[in-house]
Amino acid sequence: MTAILTIKDIRGGYTEADILNGISMEVSRGEIVAIVGPNGAGKSTVMKAVFGLLKIRGGSIDFLGTDITGWSPNHIVQAGICYVPQVENIFTEMTVQENLEMGAFLRRGDLSAAYDRIYGLFPDLVSKRQVVSGSLSGGQRQMLAMGRALMLDPKVLLLDEPTAGLSPKYMEQIFQISRNIRDTGVAILLVEQHAKQALAFSDRGYILVAGTNRHHGTGQDLLTDHSVAEMFLGG
Amino acid sequence: MMFLDLANFYLIPGIVMGSIYAIGAIGITLVFSIMRHTNLAHGDMATFGAFSALALFSAIGISPYLVLPLATVIVGFLSIVIDWIFYEHLRNKPKILTTISSLGVGLMLRSVVQIIWGVNTTAYVTGINKPYKILGLKVKSTEIITLGVSAALVIILILFLNRNRWGKAMRAMSNSPDLALISGIDNRKVVALTWFVVGVLCCCAGFFLGINTELKSMMGWNILLPTIAAAILGGIGRIEGALVGGLIIGLIEEMSLMVIPAEYKAASSFVVLLLVLLLRPTGFFRSKII
Ligand SMILES: Nc1ncnc2c1ncn2[C@@H]1O[C@H](COP(=O)(O)OP(=O)(O)OP(=O)(O)O)[C@@H](O)[C@H]1O
Ligand SMILES: [Mg+2]
Repeated sequence: MTAILTIKDIRGGYTEADILNGISMEVSRGEIVAIVGPNGAGKSTVMKAVFGLLKIRGGSIDFLGTDITGWSPNHIVQAGICYVPQVENIFTEMTVQENLEMGAFLRRGDLSAAYDRIYGLFPDLVSKRQVVSGSLSGGQRQMLAMGRALMLDPKVLLLDEPTAGLSPKYMEQIFQISRNIRDTGVAILLVEQHAKQALAFSDRGYILVAGTNRHHGTGQDLLTDHSVAEMFLGG
Repeated sequence: MMFLDLANFYLIPGIVMGSIYAIGAIGITLVFSIMRHTNLAHGDMATFGAFSALALFSAIGISPYLVLPLATVIVGFLSIVIDWIFYEHLRNKPKILTTISSLGVGLMLRSVVQIIWGVNTTAYVTGINKPYKILGLKVKSTEIITLGVSAALVIILILFLNRNRWGKAMRAMSNSPDLALISGIDNRKVVALTWFVVGVLCCCAGFFLGINTELKSMMGWNILLPTIAAAILGGIGRIEGALVGGLIIGLIEEMSLMVIPAEYKAASSFVVLLLVLLLRPTGFFRSKII
């Protein structure tokens, strides 16, 4: 498999101090890749680096053969990468429908097929179309956040902790929807707090510690690797 | 007869001034919602708009109302240029810097007005504007047009923000600038658009102030306090709030003339502002989004 998004030896941070000290990872079409690691390891920061929201001081980010390091977010969106941040990932003062519309801001013309696709993936949102999204439940918010990011039919989807704070039922639902999205050919890179569940459901995983790669491998390998299990997965 | 006197002397002028404050307060609220600072240049920008319309009217003639659209476009673009020169490089710094910078911009605009048009009081048209009598109510044509245009502006703006793609992008950016950015919305274009709209509103406020009273270089500065009071009273960040706040401030100011001398009229909006800040600093409408 050839990678669609390749992060190579990225170094950089929010200010002068480096948070990422040479991170490398890649994700291919039709693959779910999980990033796990302790709090503050730099998981969210990797996603921001891809999205042009970080001062990058070394390394490169390659998307479909093009070097996109340092591109502005709206060019990255246009290229086909969409991102659901960990916090503030919906427009709370706008309706569900308007949130999706903003997700498709770069797309002109008839959007009805895109709306149908998103409401098909997230049937829970159908009855909430005209509801101000700030009043949605946690699970519905997360679905809307994913829906917003999928409106542009991205080739790569970055999900930062899509199951944070959700009940097991919603978590399973989000995982299932992610698999469905993957099966349509989208590459998914996701950060997960629920490391075991995430590795079990992902194709591959990276374990990040203090801004560097510590381990990587298939989800199953990481789960059965004793040193990994002891150190990061709570035995 | 009592009611008619009250209406003619206080209510009608109050509503007219109130709609001018409302147009100004909506501009203050838009800047605050999207750029997150208080625009202290607002009043002087209105003055500049009023005088631009005067210059265009002297050059073209016919009617001052006819040149208003052109003047609004000029002030709209001016306010984009001012943003590029004076505010853009401060965007990621603490907002107090932009606020102070806007005070400087206001002083500069006022000086420009004074250099070009002088410091004397002037008017669009001289002579007496005889009021019409409708059921005992005395209303001048300028007042009817002020109310009509203000109402139209508010309706168009609300429709724009709720129906138009770029208007929704303004609301999105006001709600969450970071999320707007990663949704592919070009924040710089939204900022420029917002400044254009604000320039148009400023120009209209200045023009209608000029046509209902008189033109002078301090006119906009003098309405800055009641305008900001109106925006805060309505719960800053809300269009409807700014509208209601403007009308309330206009009415209170005029009604205060029943008990205090005219020279102290401005004090009444100061008192209202003080009371609002003390009693209900979030205003009367829920704060935050346009
Ligand atoms: N906006 C910011 N400005 C400065 N430093 C930041 C910022 N965001 C995060 N950091 C710092 O960067 C480091 C990595 O943070 P990051 O959010 O990437 O961690 P994470 O692995 O996503 O953790 P979590 O599991 O808590 O989400 C932390 O030390 C954090 O304090
Ligand atoms: Mg994080």
